[in-house]
Parts: sequence; C-alpha cells; structure tokens
Amino acid sequence: MAESIVVKSPKKHVNLFYSLDCEELANKVASHSQNNITLQNIKWRSFADGFPNIFINNAEELRGQHVAFLASFSSPAQVFEQLSVIYALPRLFVSSFTLVLPFFPTGSFERMEEEGDVATAFTLARMLSNIPISRGGPTSLVIYDIHALQERFYFGDEVLPLFETGIPLLKERLQQLPDADNVVIAFPDDGAWKRFHKQFDNYSVVVCTKVREGDKRIVRLKEGHVSGHHVVIVDDLVQSGGTLIECQKVLAANGAAKVSAYVTHGVFPNQSWLRFTHKDEASEKAFAYFWITDSCPVTVKALANKAPFEVLSLAGSIANALQI
Amino acid sequence: MAATPPLPPFPATSTKSLKLSHSPLLLSSKNRSNFITSCEIRRSFENHRNWTIEHFSNMNNRDSIHSNNSNSFSSSLVSATASQLPMKNSKKVVLFYSAETKSLAYNIASESDAIELRSISWGKFPDGFPNIFIPNAQGIRGQHVAFLASFSSPAVIFEQIPVIYALPKLFVASFTLVLPFFPTGTSERMEDEGDIATAFTLARLLSNIPISRGGPTSLVTFDIHALQERFYFGDNILPCFESGIPLLKRRLQDLPDSDNISIAFPDDGAWKRFHKQLQHFPTVVCAKVREGDKRIVRIKEGEPKGRHIVIVDDLVQSGGTLIECQKVLAAHGASKISAYVTHGIFPNKSWERFGHDNGESAFTYFWITDSCPLTVKEVMHRPPFEVLSLASSISASLQI
Repeated sequence: MAESIVVKSPKKHVNLFYSLDCEELANKVASHSQNNITLQNIKWRSFADGFPNIFINNAEELRGQHVAFLASFSSPAQVFEQLSVIYALPRLFVSSFTLVLPFFPTGSFERMEEEGDVATAFTLARMLSNIPISRGGPTSLVIYDIHALQERFYFGDEVLPLFETGIPLLKERLQQLPDADNVVIAFPDDGAWKRFHKQFDNYSVVVCTKVREGDKRIVRLKEGHVSGHHVVIVDDLVQSGGTLIECQKVLAANGAAKVSAYVTHGVFPNQSWLRFTHKDEASEKAFAYFWITDSCPVTVKALANKAPFEVLSLAGSIANALQI
Repeated sequence: MAATPPLPPFPATSTKSLKLSHSPLLLSSKNRSNFITSCEIRRSFENHRNWTIEHFSNMNNRDSIHSNNSNSFSSSLVSATASQLPMKNSKKVVLFYSAETKSLAYNIASESDAIELRSISWGKFPDGFPNIFIPNAQGIRGQHVAFLASFSSPAVIFEQIPVIYALPKLFVASFTLVLPFFPTGTSERMEDEGDIATAFTLARLLSNIPISRGGPTSLVTFDIHALQERFYFGDNILPCFESGIPLLKRRLQDLPDSDNISIAFPDDGAWKRFHKQLQHFPTVVCAKVREGDKRIVRIKEGEPKGRHIVIVDDLVQSGGTLIECQKVLAAHGASKISAYVTHGIFPNKSWERFGHDNGESAFTYFWITDSCPLTVKEVMHRPPFEVLSLASSISASLQI
C-alpha cells in the first residue's frame, strides 16, 4: 500500500515592515500570527525638497530572514517613497520577500479604448514587476480582489502574484446574521457577477444591469428574486457610490426587505462615504449594513465604524498568505 | 509649422554623383544657427533617368531668396560642395512635456523648426490617480519623440511615468527623455546598511523605460549631482550627461568686468565636477573645516582680493553653503560676489534669503537655469536672480 507522506513545513517567521498608513493593519496581522510575525520599523522622513529620507532599522539582522512589506498606494504621492523601500528590502540578503498590497489602485478606470489612452494600471504593474529578485527568488505579491481579471497578466516573471479575495470574510459575517437564511446576493453588473459568482454557489443570486434609456443609464434587475429578502450587493470596490445607490433603489422598489452592501475596497474619494451614513430615517432604511475591509486604511480611519459601516479585517487572511 | 515632406526612396539605379544645379531655395527664418535640409527628387524627363535634387535650406539672417530653376535642364546631376552649401540633416522631433515644463518646452521649440510641440491631456480620476490621454497617438508613428519631464516632487513622478512608459511603445522611431534636473541625488549617503538610496530607485524606474524601435531611450540630464550616479543606469537607457556651465561662460563674457572674474568652488566636490570646464579662470577653492562642534567654511586655495568672484555649484537647497562662502570671500576682500547653480531647488522658498530687498546686496548676480520650473516662476523677476535657459542646449541634444 502506497503511503503518501506530506510533510508540513514549519511556520515561517516573517519580518513585517509597513507603510505609515498601514500601521493599524500591520499590528492586527502580527497579533493573528502567534509570534510568527515580527513587526519592524522604518524611519520615514523627508528631505527639505520633499523627497524621502528613509532608513531601515536593523538592516543587517534581516539577513537570512523572510521579509514582507505591507503597502498602501492611496495616492500617487505615496508610491515613490514606498517603492524605494520595496526595491531595497529584497537586496538585504533576505531569504524571501513578499509585498502585500491589499488594494491595487488605478485598475478601475482603465479603458484602452483609443491608442492614446495611457494605462496607469500597467505602469504600476510594471513598477512592481521590476522589484529585484531576492535569494528567495521572485517577490510574492499579495493583492485582494484585483479589479480586472486580465490585470493578472500585466505582471512580469520576476513577481509571483497571489490573488486573494475578501469574500470569505463576508460569508463568515453573513452566517452570523439573525436573518442569515434570508440573504440573497446581488451583483450590480455583469462584471461583478463574473468576478464573484463562483464563491456564492450556496446563495440565491440577483444580477442587475445598466440599461440605456435615451440619454440616461438606469439600473434594472436582470435576473433573480428580490421580494422579501435581505439583499446584499457585492462588488470589489466603491468610488462615488453612485452605482450602489442606484441598485439599492431598484432593489427596494422590487420589494427587498433589507438591502446591505459589501465591497472589498472602500476607496470613497472625497469622503463620498458620507452618502451612506445613517443621518436620518431615509438613510437608515437605505442600507442596513455596509461592509468594507481594511484594504484602504485612509478610509477606515475616516469612517471609524460609523453606521452602517462595519470593517471586516484582512489581518487573518494576510497572516495566512505570509505563510505561503 | 510646415511638415517636412517625406523623403522619397532613392532609386537603386541612381548615378553615383549628385550635384546641385543651382543655389538652393532659401527661406528666411528666425535667428537660429541650425539648418533643415530636405531633399526632393524629381524626375525631369521621362525618357531619361535624370534626377534633379532641389535643396531647401533654412539659414539664419539671410533675406535674399535664390530661386531654383525647377524646370530641368541638363541631364547631369549636380553635387554640392561643402563650401558652396553647408548641409545638416536635422531630425524632426515631436516634443511632449509635463504641465510644469510648458514654458521651457515652448522655448525649446522656438529654437528649432525641427521640433514640434504636442500636448497631452492630463486629468485626474476622483481617487487622485492620473487619467492621461495622448491625443493623436497614431500620428507619432515613425517619428522621433521626446518628453520633457520635471520630477519636482514624488507626487508628480507618478503622473509622468505612465506617459514615459507608454510613448516608446507607440511605434515611434526613437524616444528621448529630457529630465534637466535629476532629483534625489544630493542627500544620499549610503553610510549604513539601512540607508535607502532613492536616487537608485529613480534610476531604476527610468532604466525600465521600455525600448522603442530606436533602441534604448536616450536620457538627457544636466549636471547630475554625483558623478557615480551615471553608473546607476541599466543598459536599456543611454544617459547623456550635459552641463549648464557653457551658459554661464557665455554670460560671464558679457559682463563689463569679465576680465576680473574668478571662479570659487564651495567644496572639493564642486571643484571635481566643474574645474575642467572653467580652466581659463583663476579659481578659489573653499572647504568646510571642523572646529569643535561647528563646521565653518575656509578658503583652501586661491586669492579673492579685488576680484569679482562667481561661486559655482550644481545646485542649491537651503542656500546655507553659499551664504557661508560669500561671507568668507567678502572677508578676504572680494570686490563682488555672484553665484551660479544649474539647479535652483530652493525648497520652502529659501531663495528669499538672497533677495535684494533684504537690504543687503550680498550677491551681485545669482544665476540659475530653468531646470527647476517651479523656482523659475518665483524668482524670474527678482534681482539678483537671472535665469539662463537650457532651451538651446536641449534643442541641440535632441538632435543626437
């Protein structure tokens, strides 16, 4: 009788660096890991001319260690200073390097419709693909719910993208709801359906779609039953929130008992999350819950858990990803 | 601007010698010293394979127009002798530019008819990330293309990099990146293993510009701070290291006391960088010496007494070094003191320390180039500042 023995490798000890915005998330990741993750410090300063003056503490102690960096590119200004660290860490004789970038920005507005369109997502992917390799080989790049599935092909061979998702966090949360058996998942468009429907095999599903009527584009129900259910709209990210608001109206008009929303990335430029907070009776009825993860730390700080927002943390998921 | 007509292919059976029949048709142009030559080959008679070459050249300061008899005549082709007609084939270059460098771009374009300006639509998405569009991208296929960049802060780097990465892949004939000032170079000291070399990061970003049909990207930069930084660049980029010193030398020649000028270097680094270009001037070299806790500037060599001293360095930040030097030079009897830096970085408006309205005229002249456009806007009309433009130097480098 053949026996297959799978030897589980012992847990990796990982030194986790992080950008300033990600301090809270980094602390959570470390506390999830039962001492396998050590937080490390970087001195982030600026020269008078605005350019970064960065110092990695204890650089020599990183030799032979697994190292990771938790990044957040919430605006173009931050990319350069974090990139300097990302390019430097792999070359400190570390045994492996992992970049955790929960939210990969620029991906959502890209439409290469004309030859002159400049694809900034591709530029960002190029910059990340040029991370020098370390003794552990190509850099592992952990990204949650990347916007366009094709974007996975933007990355060169020197990085190993690991595409994770926040959906398991949502499913866990849904199971805790009192009306868990009355939950129906709604997708605001076909794109969201393509991205996520496979993870919701056990749920009834509703699909919306945008239809052109004259000059306007309005949201319609394409398929699924809404009436009497707690409908949870699922998408990868939210910007202005317009799409979600339109969907909620249509779902309510079609008899949904409750409407909630989940997005992995609460981008919410210009404080657009204010459109959703419970200020009056009308807004309280609109969205019962609005779940986001902590992939966009700037938003998370601003929201501070104001109803209907609830933040589901990626910390546990990231701690596991660092073991890969 | 009139487009240069494309060169028709040269017939394989052409005769060996080409001669000009008449003097070329001269078009008057602006006072610039470069030429454009375009050739049109026309068949004169159907039965003969006779080709007449008509040359059109722009030459400076010529008002006369010589006509070219286009009806052909002899069956012989005429050749141009060097003395009869100097010819220079100029590359036609399409020049894009960042928002900050618009003024400099216009100055460059006015230096040469071979340079055509094109604009880019720079927008932002609500989340702050760039939304960029290159109009008429197909129109640049087969053309030499350049981009005039300015990395005055980390935020603007990310706006310009997507364009820099995209342009070479639009089937252009070649791509040149003009980055007059290469930032981050100055405050780098890899003293400890944990120091992060941001200059190296920037060089890496630029070294990863995709190659175009013209091969590696050419990178034009002026007075890079550390000479070793030239080795930071990989093989897919061809750095072209230029200097602003020729502009200074020309300006000094125009001064009334041009024969009383000595050049001062604030430290050995500046001396290493520039002394070869300024050999014809007497020099003074300063040095920072430690006295207890302080570092003070001393004169290491040279004699300032009675001279108009021009302190030369590649860049200025707070201005502290220049001010210390000025004091020491004045104390040693310099009759006038001026300064030249290629890059007027002046973070946090530190140029205010040099204004004439401070009551002191410590500096007679303060020359900077237009490599740092944000500073130029502020100091343009404020004595003692004078801006020496890199436009003609850049225009020439685009022809490489």
